[in-house]
Amino acid sequence: MSVRTEPSLTSAPRRIKRSWLLASLFLAWLVLARITKGKATLELPVPENTAFTTWVGDIADSIRGNRSDGAAFKYFFNPVREFIDGFVNVIRELIAIPNGNSSIPVLGWLGVLALIGFIVYSISHIRMAIAAVSLTFACGALGLWTDSMDTLAMTLAAVILSLAIGIPVGIWAGLSDRALKAVTPILDLAQILPTLVYLAPLALFFLIGPASATIATMVYSIPIAVRLTAFGIRGVATSPVEAGTSMGTTKVQLLKKVQLPMASRTIILGINQTVMAALSFVVIAALIGAPGLGKPVVEALIIRNVGEGFVAGLAVVLIAIMLDRSTSAAIQEETSFVPPSQADRKRRKFGLTIFGALTLVSIVLSRQLAWAAYFPEQIDISKLVAQSTDAFVVWVTENLQILTSGLSKVVTVGVLNPLESLLSYSPWFLTVTMITLISLILGGVRSAFVSFVLLLAIVASGLWFDTMITFTQTIVATLLTMAVGVVVGVWVGRSTRAERALRPILDAGQTLPAFVYLIPMLGFFGPSRFTAIATGIVYSIPIVVKIVGQGIREVPVNMIEAATSAGSTKWQLITKVQLPAAKKSLLLATNQGLIFVLAVVVIGGFVGAGGLGYLVILGGSKPQLQGKGLVAGFSILLLGVMIDRIAQYTVARNSAPKH
Amino acid sequence: MSNNSSAISVKNLWQVFGPNPDKIVGSPDAKLPRAELREKTGNTAAVQDVSFDVAPGEVFVVMGLSGSGKSTLVRCLTRLIEPTSGSVVMNGEDVLKASEARLRELRRTKFSMVFQNFGLLPHRKVIDNIAFALEVNGIKKEQRHARANEVIELVGLQGFAQAYPEQLSGGMQQRVGLARALAVDPEVMFLDEPFSALDPLIRRDMQTEVMRLHKELGKTMVFITHDLAEALKVGNRIAIMRDGAVVQMGTAEELIANPADAYVEDFTRDVPKSHVLTVRTIARPLADTETATGRTIPANTIIRDATAAVLDANGPVGVVENGNLIGYVKSRDILQVVGGGNQA
Repeated sequence: MSVRTEPSLTSAPRRIKRSWLLASLFLAWLVLARITKGKATLELPVPENTAFTTWVGDIADSIRGNRSDGAAFKYFFNPVREFIDGFVNVIRELIAIPNGNSSIPVLGWLGVLALIGFIVYSISHIRMAIAAVSLTFACGALGLWTDSMDTLAMTLAAVILSLAIGIPVGIWAGLSDRALKAVTPILDLAQILPTLVYLAPLALFFLIGPASATIATMVYSIPIAVRLTAFGIRGVATSPVEAGTSMGTTKVQLLKKVQLPMASRTIILGINQTVMAALSFVVIAALIGAPGLGKPVVEALIIRNVGEGFVAGLAVVLIAIMLDRSTSAAIQEETSFVPPSQADRKRRKFGLTIFGALTLVSIVLSRQLAWAAYFPEQIDISKLVAQSTDAFVVWVTENLQILTSGLSKVVTVGVLNPLESLLSYSPWFLTVTMITLISLILGGVRSAFVSFVLLLAIVASGLWFDTMITFTQTIVATLLTMAVGVVVGVWVGRSTRAERALRPILDAGQTLPAFVYLIPMLGFFGPSRFTAIATGIVYSIPIVVKIVGQGIREVPVNMIEAATSAGSTKWQLITKVQLPAAKKSLLLATNQGLIFVLAVVVIGGFVGAGGLGYLVILGGSKPQLQGKGLVAGFSILLLGVMIDRIAQYTVARNSAPKH
Repeated sequence: MSNNSSAISVKNLWQVFGPNPDKIVGSPDAKLPRAELREKTGNTAAVQDVSFDVAPGEVFVVMGLSGSGKSTLVRCLTRLIEPTSGSVVMNGEDVLKASEARLRELRRTKFSMVFQNFGLLPHRKVIDNIAFALEVNGIKKEQRHARANEVIELVGLQGFAQAYPEQLSGGMQQRVGLARALAVDPEVMFLDEPFSALDPLIRRDMQTEVMRLHKELGKTMVFITHDLAEALKVGNRIAIMRDGAVVQMGTAEELIANPADAYVEDFTRDVPKSHVLTVRTIARPLADTETATGRTIPANTIIRDATAAVLDANGPVGVVENGNLIGYVKSRDILQVVGGGNQA
């Protein structure tokens, strides 16, 4: 006799059933994988092409051949490239490369430093200006003045163009629901797209060089500007907007007099984030010919020269701190809508006048005198830094083996290899079936369907084996990231002191380009899969800690009070109240962690991690493998979309209202 | 009672949210209670067939609990929310039929609004907040500041013209809100729960302030509130809303003396009746056993104010309206009301 039970009665047993289901599925997978090991893995040796990758390579060649007379190139790609090249060069000639017939840029180093100080002073305060000047000077002292200026110029150019597009689109999406709906999928896609993926296709259309690098950077940073601008406009309290409307404003008046001024803080935050995104991308864009600090970083990674790589990476970090601190100082100035008093303003005007005069003198000097034009070669600590780095790395690897090769070995043998044999070295149809089933259990039917289709597409691409290698590393890195991230996140969420202590580190971690993390990891762990994993972990822990900490913090106080008054221990409070209540944040953190990790793991192709990232990088340097590189990039995209979809469906399923 | 002398005349106003709002009004479904309508059609009638007239210089109060549709109603009157159907006539002109440009003109000159959360612009000084409507109407800075200073004087904000909203207390902020609404010298002011966000003591001050401004300037006001005491204090007439519809409309005395249904009665239960009702409502014929004292009081005397006179009289006192004797009251009648009896 079948009886329909109340839904409330079935929900508890069903949850238990789900974890049992997962466990038994996993067990079955292990057994099946052992039996079928090594069969139908679709492994493709690195130098070989499939018919499909050859075909893609031919298409790339024909696009390349079409560059001078194809209509699309003549009337679209080439003019765009020329415009952006021109724009970038104007800014580079200002601070980085020789201008016209002269042998120096428009501004010599003294002029640049003074101008940076003046700009930072005018948007924040004198302490910040001094810090910005010192940080920039330090880049010169590292022997990388010209490269640093190129990075700064590239970043500036990309930011200006990104904001010119991103802010208007953001305003539009902030005002119109329909516009928001139209841009949201594009923004979402841009957010999960690993940076390495779109370099090669863009270079195909816009050639290798500053223009491609700038466009790629814009693709990465425009969505951030759009998102935060729209968020700012939508975040304006309703009552001033209603009040404005009720007094008969036109739409333009409402925007100019009410919405934009009230959204200004969020929009400036958006500018800050856009700047940081652009900087981190400009470094990676060295792969497609962006001038600047990315070049020495890439070169050092390729020849595994940790010391020199560290010097260049350090310069990137200094510029990142300089840009982040000075743009966020501008936000702090905006906390109150009340402007400074008359006396303050007078003092400030005086300060600006003095500073402005000094800046002008410096600029003139830097155009007239050699010592103010060329950064002094006597000040060069790069050798010292490189040597000490190398010495430090040697010391660590010799004396703290347990933390370097020991840790690497434990993870590689204990987790990485078993999972890799499960995903990569068992028959593809077994892996496809199992991932689809797991997706079904976690995210439901739609999730399973999407995963299945994407997995088949990956199989069809011919790079199944390499994709699974990358997937394995992504999963391992994410598991470790979550293990550390949740513990630290709970701590940060529970203790205000911990939050205050860790916040600067978390903020800094989030703004640094992923690329520079590779250098120290390469030093500690050598070229290996674990280096990529370790970099992924270090890069994504800050975001996971932030999301988890916020989730724990947002658990309602009365829930905590109720549990405490019922006599819970601290441990019970965490495991029975705070973590379950913050479940949605945990899932979101996992999703972000996966996406961040994937982006870094593919860059790990530089340091011997193999997989798709390596194929992408190889495709960029070996013409006969360019088709394979492009397909590898596309496979990364498919993998990223699949991970994101499973995570999103799981989040949606778990945050549905319970009966 | 619609007539040309009304300041505002609202007729059959509907505001339906949902997938097909236009199909509801006029269909048999429209008569369904709110919950059933939502169940059946997926639409919610926030405002359901509301009609009323406001006389020039009157303070008309719309009262109801949260979710009763009162805030939606006031937004429909100024078209901050577009109503689904009906008409709102001011000076012979249907506001709902006005073009975008004409609507802006009306908002800039004919009516103004005060908001629960003040709706001040934090990035502007008090004076520029107050002059905002004049500014968007293209009035020169000197002129609009001169006008703003007049209104600042009027609402007691002297010395705060150069301050920013966040430097003021809640009560002071709402004075800015009031001043801003007065700056355009509107014909009608809409006040949407203007004092709900304020402390009780400050709320009382502000109510007195509004009554003073009303007495001095004689503006027509539509005042939204969820607080019956406030409604009784400021309103000439009160409309009680529930589930989007007006359940009863009348003077305070009418509502309390003759509540239309249990809902209104429940609402008015805690109001001390002796503070609202006049002796007219308790006047009765002389019983056979009684003899009149010969003293009289006017029929529109509030019971509370009549207490001393009637107790002193030591017998039935005549109630006189327009020179006619309409009945008698005795100390016992008064005490029954004061003591909370239900015979009122």
